[in-house]
Amino acid sequence: MKTIPPPCPIPETGPKYWRSLDQLAETPEFQQWAQREFPAGASELTDPLTRRNFVKIMSASFLLAGFGLTGCRRPVENIYPFSKMPEGYVHGVAKFFATSMPTRNSAVPLLAKSNDGRPTKLEGNPHHPDSNGGTDRYTQASILDLYDPDRATRFTQNGNNVASDTAMGFLTELGSKAKANGGQGLCFLAEQSSSPSRARLEQVIAEKLPQAKWFVYEPVDFDIQRQAASLVFGQPVAPYYKLDDARVIVSLDSDFIGSEENAYVNIRRFTKGRKLSSNKDSMSRLYAVEALLTLTGANADHRLRIPSNAVIQIAALLAREVLRQSGKVDGAVAVAIAGLIDEKAIKALNEQLKPRDVKSSRAWSADWINKWAAECAADLLNNTNRSVVLAGHRQPLAVHVIAQTLNVALGSIGNTVLLHAAPAPKAGNIAELAQALNGSAVDTLVILGGNPVYNAPANLDWAKAQGMAKTVVRLGYSEDESSPTNGWNLPMAHYLESWGDARTSDGTMVSIQPLIEPLFGGVTELEVLARIAGIEKAGAYDVVRETFRSVTGGGEEAWKSFLHDGFLANSAAKSMSARVDTAAVSQALASAAPVVVPDKDKLEVVFHRDYRTDDGRFNNNGWMQELPDPITKMTWENVILISAQTAKDLGLEIKNREDNQLKVPWAKIELDGRSVEGPVWVQPGQADNVVGLALGYGRKQTGRVGINSGYDAYAVRTTKATHIATGAKLAATGKLHQLSTTQDHWGMEGRPIIREATLKEFQEHPNFAGEMSMEKPPVFESLYPNPIDKLKEKAHHQWGMSIDLSSCVGCSSCMIACQSENNVPIVGKYQVANNREMHWLRIDRYYTGEIEDPQMVTQPMLCQHCEAAPCENVCPVNATSHDQEGLNVMTYNRCVGTRYCSNNCPYKVRRFNFFDYNRRPLEQLQGPVYTTPILHKTEGEWDLLRWWKDPDRGTRPTEEWELLKLVKNPDVTVRMRGVMEKCSFCVQRIEGAKITQKVKAGASGDVVVPDGTIKTACQQACPAEAIVFGNVADPNSAVSKLKAQQRDYSVLEFLNTKPRTTYLAKVRNPNPSMPDAYEMPLSTKEFKEHGGNPFEEVGGHEAHSETSPTGSKKGAE
Amino acid sequence: MSDIFPKWTNRLPLMIITGVLLVGTGVTAGVWYYFTNKYTNVGYMPVQPVAFSHAIHADQLGMDCRYCHNAVEKSWYSNIPASSLCMNCHNQVLKDDPKLAVVRESFQSGQPIPWVQIHKLPDYVYFNHSVHVNRGVSCVECHGQINKMDEVAQAKPLSMSFCLDCHRDPAAHLRPPDKITDLDWKWSENPKEAAIKQRVEGTKFVHDWKVESLQNCSTCHR
Repeated sequence: MKTIPPPCPIPETGPKYWRSLDQLAETPEFQQWAQREFPAGASELTDPLTRRNFVKIMSASFLLAGFGLTGCRRPVENIYPFSKMPEGYVHGVAKFFATSMPTRNSAVPLLAKSNDGRPTKLEGNPHHPDSNGGTDRYTQASILDLYDPDRATRFTQNGNNVASDTAMGFLTELGSKAKANGGQGLCFLAEQSSSPSRARLEQVIAEKLPQAKWFVYEPVDFDIQRQAASLVFGQPVAPYYKLDDARVIVSLDSDFIGSEENAYVNIRRFTKGRKLSSNKDSMSRLYAVEALLTLTGANADHRLRIPSNAVIQIAALLAREVLRQSGKVDGAVAVAIAGLIDEKAIKALNEQLKPRDVKSSRAWSADWINKWAAECAADLLNNTNRSVVLAGHRQPLAVHVIAQTLNVALGSIGNTVLLHAAPAPKAGNIAELAQALNGSAVDTLVILGGNPVYNAPANLDWAKAQGMAKTVVRLGYSEDESSPTNGWNLPMAHYLESWGDARTSDGTMVSIQPLIEPLFGGVTELEVLARIAGIEKAGAYDVVRETFRSVTGGGEEAWKSFLHDGFLANSAAKSMSARVDTAAVSQALASAAPVVVPDKDKLEVVFHRDYRTDDGRFNNNGWMQELPDPITKMTWENVILISAQTAKDLGLEIKNREDNQLKVPWAKIELDGRSVEGPVWVQPGQADNVVGLALGYGRKQTGRVGINSGYDAYAVRTTKATHIATGAKLAATGKLHQLSTTQDHWGMEGRPIIREATLKEFQEHPNFAGEMSMEKPPVFESLYPNPIDKLKEKAHHQWGMSIDLSSCVGCSSCMIACQSENNVPIVGKYQVANNREMHWLRIDRYYTGEIEDPQMVTQPMLCQHCEAAPCENVCPVNATSHDQEGLNVMTYNRCVGTRYCSNNCPYKVRRFNFFDYNRRPLEQLQGPVYTTPILHKTEGEWDLLRWWKDPDRGTRPTEEWELLKLVKNPDVTVRMRGVMEKCSFCVQRIEGAKITQKVKAGASGDVVVPDGTIKTACQQACPAEAIVFGNVADPNSAVSKLKAQQRDYSVLEFLNTKPRTTYLAKVRNPNPSMPDAYEMPLSTKEFKEHGGNPFEEVGGHEAHSETSPTGSKKGAE
Repeated sequence: MSDIFPKWTNRLPLMIITGVLLVGTGVTAGVWYYFTNKYTNVGYMPVQPVAFSHAIHADQLGMDCRYCHNAVEKSWYSNIPASSLCMNCHNQVLKDDPKLAVVRESFQSGQPIPWVQIHKLPDYVYFNHSVHVNRGVSCVECHGQINKMDEVAQAKPLSMSFCLDCHRDPAAHLRPPDKITDLDWKWSENPKEAAIKQRVEGTKFVHDWKVESLQNCSTCHR
């Protein structure tokens, strides 16, 4: 039967979401772009050869294939069993080891999966007291670094190869020589670390070599949290935030969901405080004050955009209100804080917020900022003991001091903010070291990790300073900018190859144990230090074992359970009580810098930690490079972020798509006589006259993946202003630059794909999500019964998924987890520009409202596993079909690559292997025109013929391929060119669990997998627990209970595809007395304006399908 | 009046006959080649580095399959034993036999014995031994009577249709769990009676153990 497709309601009904400026402006170029199945270039062969030629060559190759038939006998393959069987080893069964990934001042507790001796996947350790098994995207991607073909593989001295023994011998010698003169002229430059072992070795070195000096440098430094808390409370403490216990959270430029340390813990706690199971529940409220649109701002209920250096004014306004009513802080502090308020600057900033477009419907008043702060403060005061104020690492000390003062005044200390003992590190900073180097006071400089030549402040001229040392010993993960020419370069071991220890943010001691021998003989920081310290047993294992003994006094059994569990039970830090040191606070506030209101000629620059490459450490990581930035959706490079108004003021015309290429102006930014050039990108929601520069790109000496990506923001970053600088100039150079962003891809054209309401609306109209459904087409008894309905009856499970949009913060760790689990390849910048990215799971990011102050929503979009899947009935070869448990499965070895399925998929979640992305080196996938290996001629010879002679020519070299193969999940097929692929609901995990259950059942009927046994990769990585997967046939499973909730809806339900993946509508929690309060989310408002009304109890359907937009009645307001 | 059909159409029947013959020959040749045991490697019996006889070990000496292939109940893979396992016995039995020189050498040097793989499935097939042997499928179903082989040869085609034959009708192949590695075991010496018993008992197993007839792609392809 021919089904008449339901009318496609664009744009008459449905919320209006926009994802790019082009879409907002509805340019003809955009519409053309959006209407195509694949954008221009994606589905065309841009090859000079014609179809006729192609047929000719193909028939020739068939002929050759015919001759070759008899040669296609199976080659002889050998099986090599062990000579001596290791005890307890079972070939083919994956093992899990507890370990952890060290971060700056913390660590991520992990369970690492090892397939026959090679680590293949990282999961969070759910048994750790401060973890739910979720991780962040950096952790998920870090496993790829282990198998990076560009990592350092050799020991060198002055650039020449040396044996590792020679290099390690030199270190021992260095230690004994230094001992003779007490370490005079010996300097260490290290990264931050939470390792108790390193702290112990530092102590040993300090005792043995008293003259040796220790310096620590991190380009993105979170230590200011500890500094401020120690100052305010007059004793060495660091704050720990229990966001789940807070009802009101105020972020002062603190991107605690995205770029602050331990974001995965914050996300877990933050979303825990906002989980809704019914309309009786309450949720916390988040206020954000920030300049750039960050993930935190995007998830905030109220957001104030303001230049970064003016955040202190908001902090002071809040503090003035709060301290006035709270008696917990000394009056002198209140006076000092009130003294910071610069009414003139606030007025000027307020003027900048005023809508300049008369048509704008954005609310504004002359006392907007003051009112915003006053109402926010009132809300804080209404929730004393249950509120928290956080300041971001980019903010100066004074803002942190005010934030902690506020926490004291609000009674948060001990409730939502815990104070943990944190001794101050006895180390100098990099500027002091540079001074010592330039004064020729350094004989030997030992650099442990990091990459100072790339990321040290530009005014230090580190490359030159480093050269001033007589000898440099550098332990580095790759041979990069900082590899010395005047000394030794030692390859560093990956943390999955190392023994070590660390402390997580709650103070729990965690273990780091190796899953594999160092692939290239790398050594760890601990081994280097132990040798210099002259410790007899200098192996990393011995060092860590000794530390464990000295910290805990534990014997062999305790050590074993420490390694087995991955953490030391009950080792979390104790919460301390503290009193405010009024004198120190007043003094710190007095030294706060005055506010500079930026304008278009004196712009404010904000240097921010990149969501993908961090500070540059993941620069050569393909997964991270190809991960679309959670906000901008940019891949493979960083951009200069400015607001739309600033772009207009500066005359930077952002061109529309030309020839379907996204081209933006190339501009030059000047700051204090230094300059850097990069592409300009207009970021909705960014404060005016602020420029955002992401760190971590533009490296000059990196691997094959990271090279030529982005611009180097470190070039204009100096010690004077490491995070926020003022007085910059931005001007177009006249050049244009092509970007690869995924933001316009796979648009859904304004249907109610995301549904949201405010908490109040949800309480009054719990079924709003269902009410927003478009009218379903009339469904009669189907002529052709769906085979799944019959299969269902016999099957033991029916799989389904529920995604809570209220919990999803858009952090993207699920995307990387999926890539790691399912062997998803990277495709390179130019292929992304052609819409050929391969991610099975993407995060759709939608804006609503006006470009100055949009609301943002994120939605993970993956194969919906429709019961009536449109992809299945168009496949000519039955390569995609349903199994009896409701999975829409993809059989790669059947697929012939017609791409009909992708064409027919309403969710646009199918991905096609246009090239052999696994075997082709990245550089062959670069460039706008890539010719196929079959039709192209190289060196006067057809590639087909070359391939016939040597099939491996032009593919990755064998050694590289052998290394990259190690990261692959053996349970998932590595797809080749020409096949379609998509999310499988991690079918390998489902089948694995079913097999385990059946093996356990043996001769019994106990074959149903218990709920919670199977977690998909995205679910397991999600710190917010937004994704839940399970058996929907079991009404008591977690997923069934979620699907029974009032907020449950499916996307594009009017197509009657019956998706197995459903979503829980988003709920926002605005404060009605705020000046920017909204009765309903902007999207819902638009939905209503277009005739729909989800909040009308009866007749909601008719209202938006039949009445005209003007005829709609007002709902409950 | 001109001809409706041009003259060359007179040759059309001949052309059709020739075409049909050519295509027919091609199809016959294809079936001849691809549908034979040779193509599916039945009877493949490569020379192994050690003249190990399953007939002696499993049949004469009565050793259980799982003494050597000990991971078969735990893993997707039924392991080839390590040289150290051979030496468990052969450090006493036939300890200087020249036929065992390769094994002794491997045990001493740590180098593996390069056994030649016989039973091989394509890379896109995810076959799991443990779930089969724990749920009533005997080794003999896929490997044949290995216990009678002096040199191991492939006994069954191991093609997709071979797998599906069993998956479509598991009742015809299931046996009591304690008889999995007893390759000579039969329901009855009388073939007729055995067939009847197999049907009755097999159907019971399918019901009691909740055995599914899994024929969907995701069963074997991931």
